[in-house]
Amino acid sequence: MASLWDNYMVTEAYDEMRCSENQARPSSSRLSSYLGTLDREALDVRKTAADLAIMEMGITFTVYSDEGNIDRAWPFDIIPRIIEYREWLRVEEGLKQRLKALNCFINDIYNEQLFIKEGLIPASIISSSTNFLKECVGMQPRFGTWANICGSDLVRDKDGTLYVLEDNLRVPSGVSYMIENRVITKKVFPELLQDLDVLPVDDYSAHLLEMLVSIAPEHSDIPRIAVLTPGIYNSAYFEHAFLAQQIGAELVEGADLLVQDDDCVYMRTINGMEKVDVIYRRIDDQFLDPEVFRKDSMLGVRGLLRAWKAGNVSLANAPGSGVADDKVVYTYVPEMIRYYLNEEPILPNVPTYLCSDPEQLVYVLAHLDELVVKPANESGGYGMLVGPHATKKEIEEFRKIIKDQPRNYIGQPTLALSTCPTLCDNHLEPRHIDLRPFILQGENSFVTAGGLTRVALKKGSLVVNSSQGGGSKDTWIINTGT
Amino acid sequence: MLSRSAERLYWLARYLERTENTARLLSVYMNLMFDMPMGVEVSWRNLLTIFGAEQAFLKLYEIPNEQNTMSFLLTDTANPGSLFSCLNAARENIRTSRELMPDEAWQQVNEMYLFAKNNVDTAANRRGRVLILNEIMRGCQCFTGFLSGAMSHDDALRFIRLGRSIERADMTTRILDIASVILADDRSDKTRQYENAMWMNVLKSLSALLMYRKHGRHRIRSGDVLDYLLKDPDFPRSVVHCINEVEAYIKRLPRSEVLTDNLATLLSSLMATDIYHITPVQLHKLLDDIQVRLGVTHNQIASTWFLAAH
Repeated sequence: MASLWDNYMVTEAYDEMRCSENQARPSSSRLSSYLGTLDREALDVRKTAADLAIMEMGITFTVYSDEGNIDRAWPFDIIPRIIEYREWLRVEEGLKQRLKALNCFINDIYNEQLFIKEGLIPASIISSSTNFLKECVGMQPRFGTWANICGSDLVRDKDGTLYVLEDNLRVPSGVSYMIENRVITKKVFPELLQDLDVLPVDDYSAHLLEMLVSIAPEHSDIPRIAVLTPGIYNSAYFEHAFLAQQIGAELVEGADLLVQDDDCVYMRTINGMEKVDVIYRRIDDQFLDPEVFRKDSMLGVRGLLRAWKAGNVSLANAPGSGVADDKVVYTYVPEMIRYYLNEEPILPNVPTYLCSDPEQLVYVLAHLDELVVKPANESGGYGMLVGPHATKKEIEEFRKIIKDQPRNYIGQPTLALSTCPTLCDNHLEPRHIDLRPFILQGENSFVTAGGLTRVALKKGSLVVNSSQGGGSKDTWIINTGT
Repeated sequence: MLSRSAERLYWLARYLERTENTARLLSVYMNLMFDMPMGVEVSWRNLLTIFGAEQAFLKLYEIPNEQNTMSFLLTDTANPGSLFSCLNAARENIRTSRELMPDEAWQQVNEMYLFAKNNVDTAANRRGRVLILNEIMRGCQCFTGFLSGAMSHDDALRFIRLGRSIERADMTTRILDIASVILADDRSDKTRQYENAMWMNVLKSLSALLMYRKHGRHRIRSGDVLDYLLKDPDFPRSVVHCINEVEAYIKRLPRSEVLTDNLATLLSSLMATDIYHITPVQLHKLLDDIQVRLGVTHNQIASTWFLAAH
């Protein structure tokens, strides 16, 4: 019988499952040989079962430009991605370390600004950051944690090294899909999960709840928690509802909340007004409070910042956390770890060229055809240039934009993102992937076991965002016991 | 609980109950029509009357034959009252209140929606239609089952049951309205001949046939059927039973004092009516009054608990 692996070609990129055409990596050998026993038809049956489960469970996301059809089924690839447990332990430590340092940095920036005073970062980088909110100066959230929920993107290069590509500290999404992906895998490959020691992922919600309770204002005994969503048309609405359900919180929209004269936040309930203590907000800073930020925001709550500053409500993540979610500030994270924690960074950054630095700008402009150039502030894979895949015209257009606003751009070498076998028309082909683990920090720190593996479903593509044709995979942290 | 959530759950329940009732009514009506010989004054048009949708129908179709009526009431999403439209609305309400109820409840509604969406074409023939209607009725029952077995009997469930009972009472009055057709003074002898069969189908459309019989009335007579479906305190789809339920749920919700008067008035005037000696015109008026009173209660619910109340 023909094996699914017969025509599988590893490329120059690191393949997560196969070290050569004929050889599986040790952590993947069990899955690899199991897949080898399936024929195309058997695989197709499982693929169909997964698609059906996704439809019936209603796992959806929304695409902004899509009209009519609000929610789309979540594109899921049934072949899991495997990471060895011992490697993961190190990654977990590295991520906790990183978020701790980032929180120290944010707290410092809004208070003493020692990092600037010591000359470790130019003051102009902070003052020119659109994510630095002067309204937050002087605030000290509980435990000094501003970014309580972080989604960091990790990529693996040719040589097998895992790099941190960025830290999403504003309203990172995807964790619900991580949990649902496992639910689907349990339906599709029940026999495999029985034989392998795969770490569970569904304890995330318990840790999220624990974290939210820990950051509640001290006067609240049993804090009332709400998840604030921009509403049913938001692309991540599914996730907001999912998380609210998992932690037993109210799912509220701006219109459900009201800040009264006592500077406390109340929600409109069938009993009248009820006080809210902790808000897990999934609305960007700029829309949070029309009294302070964008006046035209219909999504936010008038007076919310006032209530937060009075210490009557905790917000996760705290407003202003985004100051560290900036691809220019990102380059200083290793230095933050050394400065605040007095430790060496466990996880490396991707080498990054700052266009704001005249020398580095010259290098970037001279190597546009090799580099990935990204705006410092956008997320979702928008507005970036992948040099090796771009046309001459696109490169020239970017050259102009970069020269106009050098502070807003950074350049990075084009990493050959690692690949993972992915089901393409009922056979397996390598596709590029990344990994987004989620890190929590309140009174304690927590990292998800694995995270959301995103996969670029188009051959050769390096763009994994779901809004741009990406899919996702279940991620297995496997203890092989060796 | 949030006012917004209360509103969504209430509407979820109304739409789902409407979906189920529509399925049951269409299914029974199809059976009835298959039995009726030619020349009996019961037509597909009567079905449109029950839904109060004759005018809306004529905007979209010309002839009220089986094909058109069924398509209008079952699958046509241009008709906001069609079964598929109600199911869509129910799904949208539950999609946006998933954090409030067990996952199985959402999945049940979502599966029904997907099933309906994938089977629009088969609804064109009688056999396909029967299958769809059965599946929908089964699905709605499953939903109700999940909730009673897995959801706390708290305010959230009370809003669901409140919506369901109001919708149910409303539907029973609409179905009974067809009695004014069956009993019309100028009905033909042939129609009189099939009267029993029609009453039997009215009972069936409310799943009431067996319970009616067990109630001690072996014969099916118009007065008895009407009295049973309007006033029986125990049958879950009788108007009085539904109103009693509405009242009970309302009383257990906060700040409900102002809502009970209207229901009390409705109950006392219904109980004072002698159903056995009522003319078709008086019956029609009575049913109309009940619907208006239910509308008043609905408005009171909205202005007491929903988002617009704040």
